[in-house]
Amino acid sequence: MRINTHPILEFKRGAAVTITFDGKPIEARDNETIAVALHAAGIRNIGRSMNLHRDRGLFCAIGNCSSCMMIVDGVPNVRTCLELCRDGMTVETQHDKGVLA
Amino acid sequence: MLEQTGIPEASDINGVFPSDERLAKGPVAVIECFQRIPCNPCSTACRRGAIEAFDDINDLPKVNHEKCNGCSLCVSRCPGLAIMVVDMTYAEDKALLKLPYEFAPLPEEGSSVTALNRAGEAVGEALVVKVQNTPALDKTPLVSIAVAKDLARTVRNFRVTDDTSAESPGILRGDEAPSPMVCRCNDLDLDNIRDLMKKGFTSIDEIKRVSRLGMGPCQGRNCIPLVLGELSRFLGKPVSELDPGTYRPVVKSVSLGAVAEYDGEALTE
Repeated sequence: MRINTHPILEFKRGAAVTITFDGKPIEARDNETIAVALHAAGIRNIGRSMNLHRDRGLFCAIGNCSSCMMIVDGVPNVRTCLELCRDGMTVETQHDKGVLA
Repeated sequence: MLEQTGIPEASDINGVFPSDERLAKGPVAVIECFQRIPCNPCSTACRRGAIEAFDDINDLPKVNHEKCNGCSLCVSRCPGLAIMVVDMTYAEDKALLKLPYEFAPLPEEGSSVTALNRAGEAVGEALVVKVQNTPALDKTPLVSIAVAKDLARTVRNFRVTDDTSAESPGILRGDEAPSPMVCRCNDLDLDNIRDLMKKGFTSIDEIKRVSRLGMGPCQGRNCIPLVLGELSRFLGKPVSELDPGTYRPVVKSVSLGAVAEYDGEALTE
């Protein structure tokens, strides 16, 4: 779901791109962040907590809370609320603290 | 009460309303600005000098209702949507309220809408007389609605549709509500923090060592201010007298290879 009509804001949507989330293709725009594209596609669980591995959703959306960290193109601990979508990008849910390649 | 609820009471409203004599003469602006903030576009918008120039930008606007002719230039200029124009001379039994309305969809002229009071509760019917949305209004459309005269001091907004099917799920309150999350990284809620404080861990560093609060990927940016506030209530001390805990610089792992191969040139990857 995306907001198309807003009383104040205008949305300048970028070019359509496709990213892969846990093996599934997701329609996205190249000027929106990964977390926003996943949210628009109805995916609400985008992170896991460190200790009890509980679901974490989009919270601060400004790179502050680190609840949205995922593995992007093989790199762990990417804050997906800040990282813009690129065509062909691979995004995976991160279940651990992340392992450097 | 205004400070707690954000809803002005009758005494607040009557304090900013023009006199009955002035209301009987025609349209006039009513500015419901109750909080000192650095903001003055209303004063600069008025071409008749009816909103006095501010000595201090934090001042509340002072309206000379005798100079004001209800032109409504100031209404769309107020970022807080605090200004409306009231015309008690609109009809025998109706008053006209010109309201700033930043919601979608805009109502249709001639349609009937539900009038709302300042708490957002339905208080009656209103007729949409005029809808203005020119570029000069800068996306703050002005909607004129006619309401019964005795509601002129009650109505401050309206609802276009009574369809509530699109409402968001309710917020859990009271016993239903789970304890608020304090540390999203290491799964500590408010009950956990209060239990630790009762056990005698009454500083950030002590709580951190026993619970790993502030040691997750967010590095305490979200939890430390919340826990400081809770400690302040528990200890009865202001936050300024509490120790904010030990801060250390952010550390990122660097592979030995990156250091070993360093040849003095700028590192690229």
